[in-house]
Amino acid sequence: MTDEDRRARRRGQGELEAQVLAALRNAAGPVTAGWVRERIGGALAYTTVVTILSRLYAKQSVTRERAGRSFVWTPAADEAGLAALRMRKVLDGEPDRGAVLASFVTALSPDDERLLRALLDGADSVDDVAGADGAEAETGD
Amino acid sequence: MGVFVFLPLVLPLTAWPIARLAEQQLHPRAATWLLATVGGVLALCSTLCLMLLMVVGTAQLPGNPLPDAWADPEVRAVLPYDEVVGQAAIPLLAAVAGACAHLVWLHRRVRTRATRALAGLPEGRLAVLPDDERAYAYALPGGRGTAGARGRIVVSRAMLESLDARERQALIAHEEAHLTARHHRFLLVAGLAARANPFLRPLRTAVAYTAERWADEDAARAVGDRRTVARAIGKAALVSRAATGRGAATALVGFATAGPVPRRVAALLGPVPPAPALPPAWTAAGLALWTAAGGTAVSALASANATVTLFTVLRAATVL
Repeated sequence: MTDEDRRARRRGQGELEAQVLAALRNAAGPVTAGWVRERIGGALAYTTVVTILSRLYAKQSVTRERAGRSFVWTPAADEAGLAALRMRKVLDGEPDRGAVLASFVTALSPDDERLLRALLDGADSVDDVAGADGAEAETGD
Repeated sequence: MGVFVFLPLVLPLTAWPIARLAEQQLHPRAATWLLATVGGVLALCSTLCLMLLMVVGTAQLPGNPLPDAWADPEVRAVLPYDEVVGQAAIPLLAAVAGACAHLVWLHRRVRTRATRALAGLPEGRLAVLPDDERAYAYALPGGRGTAGARGRIVVSRAMLESLDARERQALIAHEEAHLTARHHRFLLVAGLAARANPFLRPLRTAVAYTAERWADEDAARAVGDRRTVARAIGKAALVSRAATGRGAATALVGFATAGPVPRRVAALLGPVPPAPALPPAWTAAGLALWTAAGGTAVSALASANATVTLFTVLRAATVL
């Protein structure tokens, strides 16, 4: 019951954050919290808007600079960036996600890695086609 | 019912030979279906027998809500070691129920949280997340009540940038295969079975592997080149390891020890797996298959027998 409530509130916050970010992205430059409040309909309290902006700032989704006695805000990440942050939190927070989300690849042990490199080298030497536009396809080490 | 009521609790052991051999000898699709089905049936039988034992055990507890006649010596006579086993079955069954409920809860939570993480993005099958540090790709199954009922493919930019155009195609085709064939259901069944009876754990690892192989083979058919899929898997595994910088320490639970990635790559570089067909009985695969089938059948019969016996005895006892 309380869990349900908390979930609903959290979703509400996510939507508000998205709304505020959308407003910021439509702005021509750095804007004040008051401007954001007007832009999203003015139904929210000024302090709520500032809270949301601060939360976005803590997530590094927006940047701010001081202008007089208050801050002006600019978006740092768009909705996709926010989604990436949220997804990373899910992936970090769920040790058992392997049972649910089928990952493309699973972790390698050092032995696996040696074996894998040998297999790929073998495949490449037989296979002279190589990737058509594989210039950026270095795998790093 | 006698000692036969214990059979379904240990018969899952007959699934062990098939778990290893099915990975290597059968077509991945057939192997996944076979292992998930065998695991599910064996787990159901094992749980059913646990429930029967629990009924007999509970009837002997003072103050239980069951009819008093159910604790009569005649009823207790049908079950060997009724005091010990009957009482032990109660906490065991509770543990099984708890573990299964926990898995279902986890399953729901991961799906809900991941779906919500994507909430702000435009609709579409493929969601590319601008994460340049972490290379990952997931098939996120859709469900009733969630956006994108057919599921979504989640890929990070770091993953896409490590692959060339054809390898990306292979990656997408692989995840698409997971969603189309609803592999998460096989994984859930195998996971529940492993929790219902610990002897079924090797089956879960095997199903996780064969489901990946199934998606690999589908991707190879979609892309038209097995080598491309093999290279995509290899590169993705190496770049994920490099990006997290923590290597095998970040292993997904239960997957790492078997070294599934090199085996998948090797399988793709090898010949096309045989079309789904029954292997001849005299080969190792055939023998394992018949052992598993026999074990499953005996398990089903034993638990059915135990159910009928207990039902008959209890009805007789209640009438008396």
